[in-house]
Amino acid sequence: MMVIETAPVAARRLGWLLAEVREILVETPRVTSLLLHVAGWQGHRAGQHVDIRLTAEDGYQAQRSYSVASPPEDDLLALTVERVENGEVSQYLVGHVSAGDQFQLRGPIGGYFVWTAATGGPLCLVAGGSGIVPLMAMLRHRDRRSSRAPTVLVYSSRSLEDVIYRDELDAMASRDPRMRVVNTLTRKQPEGWMGYGRRIDRALLAETCFPPEQNPKIYVCGPTPFVESVSRLLVELGHNTRAVKTERFGPSGA
Amino acid sequence: MIDNSSSGVLDGNAAAGLLQEIFVLDVTTAQIECAACGSTWVVGSLRLYAIQMGAILRCNHCDGVVMKAVRTPHGHWLEMTGARNLIFQV
Amino acid sequence: MRTCVTQFAVTSSMLLYSSVPDRQAARFAPSTNQRSFDDRAGAYNDVMFSRAHATPEAKAQTSMDETPISRGFRSRRQEEISKGRVPPGQYVTTDFPVLSAGPTPLIKPEDWTLALQLGGSLLGKWTWAEFAALPQTTITTDIHCVTKWSKLGTTWQGVTFDDLLKAVDIAEPAAHYIMAHCDGGYTTNVPVADLVAGKGLVATRYEGLPILPAHGGPARLLVPHLYFWKSAKWVRRLRFMEKDERGFWESFGYHNYGDPWKEQRYDGD
Repeated sequence: MMVIETAPVAARRLGWLLAEVREILVETPRVTSLLLHVAGWQGHRAGQHVDIRLTAEDGYQAQRSYSVASPPEDDLLALTVERVENGEVSQYLVGHVSAGDQFQLRGPIGGYFVWTAATGGPLCLVAGGSGIVPLMAMLRHRDRRSSRAPTVLVYSSRSLEDVIYRDELDAMASRDPRMRVVNTLTRKQPEGWMGYGRRIDRALLAETCFPPEQNPKIYVCGPTPFVESVSRLLVELGHNTRAVKTERFGPSGA
Repeated sequence: MIDNSSSGVLDGNAAAGLLQEIFVLDVTTAQIECAACGSTWVVGSLRLYAIQMGAILRCNHCDGVVMKAVRTPHGHWLEMTGARNLIFQV
Repeated sequence: MRTCVTQFAVTSSMLLYSSVPDRQAARFAPSTNQRSFDDRAGAYNDVMFSRAHATPEAKAQTSMDETPISRGFRSRRQEEISKGRVPPGQYVTTDFPVLSAGPTPLIKPEDWTLALQLGGSLLGKWTWAEFAALPQTTITTDIHCVTKWSKLGTTWQGVTFDDLLKAVDIAEPAAHYIMAHCDGGYTTNVPVADLVAGKGLVATRYEGLPILPAHGGPARLLVPHLYFWKSAKWVRRLRFMEKDERGFWESFGYHNYGDPWKEQRYDGD
């Protein structure tokens, strides 16, 4: 049987809280952010996620996990949801839900994939599609804290209109010389696009990420195949496998 | 030969909700020592399989099952015969 | 910083009873952990909710007044259930979700063999070519996953368990139970009575094509009248057992038999 030598950190049980939609922001044609008021919310760290549970009038329930998009400094909790074809919950959250609607939520969950300003940098974030969500929470937290950690975000999207938080990321990068945003558009590039236009490969990472000698904190998030490919490439470039934190979102929804 | 790029794989971090129902504290930040090969990993970084049925957490080095968890209507199940040590920072 | 070292001498599964004073059937709400991305694949683990609300006692226990109703949210699944064709609690999908307890083995057919065993003795063994030379059977059937999806009218080709027994001149099965052993270490137990008379086969083709590795290729067991976790992927060995032994999921919370029509999902159901 388990023998506990010293008392582990006391933690509260995860219980279901009441979330109410306060605001809805359309991010891209398929992606919407919900700003929630969560009664009894105890705070979170950037990178954590929540479980939400919807209940239909006949009692039917569905549950999903979503990364928190907002930093701990914000009053409202933001979830950014991509509408997935045949996605029972995402079809509801993106397009059907209105301000005032309620559902249950529990969290924050997951202390492994987190970054706090105290952790410092250099910080290398690699996002594939909606994998940007927990990384955006980290960037927003970094911004709120006026962190000076040198940071690069490598963000892979299908096309320019699929880039979530585009304006906000551009604004962050333009006012902070220590932060860089590198977009790569894998399927469609606009006229005159000067940036990367291909899937992330070894050369792209070598050109953008901090080298292993600088011991960057690395976070990779997106569909599982994306995360595994990027992680493998980072290790090939000399990064310690344990220095690369990953958050796989599962099979691609595309 | 094993194909590790199965698209259904997640990270141990994704099992944090289920595990926190059992452990109360967040075990995904703990280090776990694989009983089969002796390597040590943060639980949240392990490869997580079968999330739809529970949580099967495998060693990143040898693929051995390190931890299993299932929630059933009749109780939670936990198995850690594949782990030698669990190390928490307190 | 002090470290807490917890040593384990756990030799068997620990069964923990949930003691959270949560008045709702919410205790059994599983986390699907499919992030904002693919909730289609993550849609399977809401098992207990349909059940909890199915019975009068459960309705009485569940204080629905306290659960906020998500205005306008309705399940598409329940609209799709065709009565009689689909077992209780299931919904029909046109996808073919992949669920694995471990990494996908990549086995070349030329390296593959299938063995039939009784105790320590080998009753029969086939290479890929020898297996292909056995009588082939094609069936079209519905399959039902314990995670609540059902797929109708799937077509499989392989060798029936009956034909495997005939191939080794066994008229009467050697024992009452079979344990299927698979590449990657997965196991599942099935009563022989649920494999004979055409009820079980070792399949090598799905919809006319070789089964993909993610779906269990080169060969998987197919026992479609039971929950699909019994249709073991990457099967390599069928071992007769005098006494029933529990396989991977059966020894860890899931039902020993797994009849979808009786909703035998979990141990204790």
